[in-house]
Amino acid sequence: MKKFALAGNPNCGKTTLFNLLTGSTAYVGNWPGVTVDKREGTYKRGEEPVSVVDLPGIYSLSPYTSEEVVSRNFILDEKPDCVINVVDATNLERNLYLTTQLMEIDVPLIIALNMMDAVEKAGDSIDAKELEQKIGVPVVEISALKGGGIKELMDRAIKISKAARKGETVLKNSPIAHLIRDVSIALTAQKVDAPLFHAVKLTEMDEIEAQMHPELVAMVDAFKATFSNDTFGTDFEAIVADARYQYITQNYSSVVTKTKQDAAELTQSDKADRVLTHRIWGIPIFLVILFSIFHLTFSEDFLYLSAISGGRLPSLFASAAEGGLGWEENAGTLLLGCFYDGAVFSPGVILTNVLNLILDSVSGLVAGWLNAAPAWVSGFLVDGILGGLFAVLGFLPQILTLFLFFSILEDSGYMARVAFILDRIFRKFGLSGRAFMPMIMGFGCSIPAMINTRTLADEQERTATVRVIPFFSCGAKVPILTAIAGGIVQAFGIGNADLITYGMYVIGIVTAIIAVLCMRSTTMRGETPPFIMELPAYHRPLFKSLMIHLWDKTKHFIQKAFTVILASTILIWFLSHFSWDWRFLPDENMNESILAGIGMLIQPIFTPLGFGSQLGRTAGWVFAVSAITGLVAKENVIATFGTLAACLVSGFLIPEESDGILEASAIIAQTGITIPALIAFIAFNMTTIPCFAACAAAKAELPAGKFKWTLLFWLVTSYIVSTVIYLVGSWWWTAFIFAGIAACAAAAIVFWNKKHPLKDNHAKKESTAQTAGASEEEEK
Amino acid sequence: MNWLEITVIVVAAAFVAGVAVYSLVRRLRGKGGCGCDCAHCAGCSSCKPKTDSGTESTEKK
Repeated sequence: MKKFALAGNPNCGKTTLFNLLTGSTAYVGNWPGVTVDKREGTYKRGEEPVSVVDLPGIYSLSPYTSEEVVSRNFILDEKPDCVINVVDATNLERNLYLTTQLMEIDVPLIIALNMMDAVEKAGDSIDAKELEQKIGVPVVEISALKGGGIKELMDRAIKISKAARKGETVLKNSPIAHLIRDVSIALTAQKVDAPLFHAVKLTEMDEIEAQMHPELVAMVDAFKATFSNDTFGTDFEAIVADARYQYITQNYSSVVTKTKQDAAELTQSDKADRVLTHRIWGIPIFLVILFSIFHLTFSEDFLYLSAISGGRLPSLFASAAEGGLGWEENAGTLLLGCFYDGAVFSPGVILTNVLNLILDSVSGLVAGWLNAAPAWVSGFLVDGILGGLFAVLGFLPQILTLFLFFSILEDSGYMARVAFILDRIFRKFGLSGRAFMPMIMGFGCSIPAMINTRTLADEQERTATVRVIPFFSCGAKVPILTAIAGGIVQAFGIGNADLITYGMYVIGIVTAIIAVLCMRSTTMRGETPPFIMELPAYHRPLFKSLMIHLWDKTKHFIQKAFTVILASTILIWFLSHFSWDWRFLPDENMNESILAGIGMLIQPIFTPLGFGSQLGRTAGWVFAVSAITGLVAKENVIATFGTLAACLVSGFLIPEESDGILEASAIIAQTGITIPALIAFIAFNMTTIPCFAACAAAKAELPAGKFKWTLLFWLVTSYIVSTVIYLVGSWWWTAFIFAGIAACAAAAIVFWNKKHPLKDNHAKKESTAQTAGASEEEEK
Repeated sequence: MNWLEITVIVVAAAFVAGVAVYSLVRRLRGKGGCGCDCAHCAGCSSCKPKTDSGTESTEKK
């Protein structure tokens, strides 16, 4: 089967086109660097089936980051039958730079002029036929978003793939044209594939080419000795780039007709950027948007209407004496109670309440069916399986709500702006704003976030980013945050769940920043890499895209719940109902179980964190055990609470009302755990070793030998953060002790860094250049 | 023990073993590390050691 590759700049529409061609629903994000590895599908609507490979976006074939190497190597090594160069028609001049490089490779090439709908909307026009004539490569106008021109593109691509194509260079008239010709002849004699392309790269002293053909580097150096250019001297890379842009300008200016636009007139995106990327207000705006998202997802007092009214909004079911309406609980009133009960609930909470109502009914039905079954079977199925499973499933609406809002921010193009405005701050801590993109992905799942760090060129920056990504709480940690925050509100009657949840996310971000600062000041010192990123235009996210993503998230969450989490729940129940000598234990003897034994053994470790020995042996071990079960999947923390709560807490009847928050409240009441310890528990689970799958992803992305230190880093950071939170929350004066320790540590680091400064890279390069120059003179 | 109890124990044990084996087989085949379908993830086809060879198919089945 023929193989076609989609190559082009980041954000030019390759993945959108790929989805259209193959029927796939691969993720399309409105920021550069979404695709970090190639993906393959099949186009079946042509005269023959064709394998289509979507490549990561590249600006040139001299790659800067590892995912750009993927694109280059695929085109050169795997020799596709045709390269479809997807070009963003709204940025033709910039996109054609890569085209001039692709033209030099001996591979059939066709240009897909994408986003033509946006060009027409702006009132501009492009003469595709004239462009095709001038460049000498087929050009087809398409709109991947609207689906226009696709059949013509693929028909022509299949047609040209039947004949071989010889590479051509646009540097024929450049000052170094005969050098390129000579090197190309030498490579042809060595039977190197695509000799023209490699010749141009060697002329540019491309690192990869120089390593592959060291003998030809001497030929280039010899030519340099006899050459001089008024503008660029012997900087051949600049000469080549200049020649390419001259060629583009000559051929581009006549084919594009732009409507007369006032130079000072701003586009819609520019107007929005004046506010959203404001030097002073940009970050506060971002924080407000972030808080709004959390409010819409977690708040049990939407717009704080109840607080504003002074708590005078009546509850539905409380008696009149208690200031309520005294309504009787039935299906109708319970459904209404999902939306309002003394306060208007936020959309996320409303959906959660409705789902829990359904799950409660299922639990009740199952409990009824098992009336005649043996007690342990009923306990296993209802308390164990349903208790654990439903405790996690109940959070699905809030996870989806959070995911929806973040998807809107990503797809609209706003997240790219946030990376830009945070760059100024991140730079002070040793990271560029580019590192922010994977971190934001960490709010969804740590695994693709860690993989996305391949877009960071600097290895130390990549390692630091991988390490702190778990601190940006992923979707799996939402149940922990929501259940414990809700448990605090219910058990202690204070605070707002959304404020507590938002605060914990902020603690995670602050921990990440401090951790990066420490790493970049000590073991990972180095210059912060520059940050250059193309800002995509704002656009309204497609409703269909959002719904597809939400549906996928739902499917995968349910799949995970009914596999890994269900299996974990079953194991937890069995281990909590059998003793070490395999006797079955009723609920009231659970403290003699295998699980309780393990929990009590490790419980003292968590004493400085507030959820260790001080909670006693009756139920305190549940926190220790749940932190361990969370290593399999973070949702297991609440699943553990759900499974064990019914058994441990006397008089707590699960089947009637079962959600993670009630289980958490029950455990809180039973153990007497304090608020600082609960916050420390959340912080521990947020910052400790992530799930096994995330650990595997981290191991794959980190350089050799770094993973074990990363594990240690996570353990130490989570322990320190949780200890500080618990101790300061319980005894405020300990804040001074920790401040003193931090100040001493900072002073020691600053002193050490002054005594052992980083080698100046610029001075080193100059010294090397001077030495090379001196050597050449000696040889002469 | 009656048949219901035996059935519950056997099904539960088989389920746990099945999930463990499924996860292990997936890992050995180099498939998605998080247990989710890669197609709709921004890190699609990347949940395996960095390699230039081999691609993940995201075609709808």
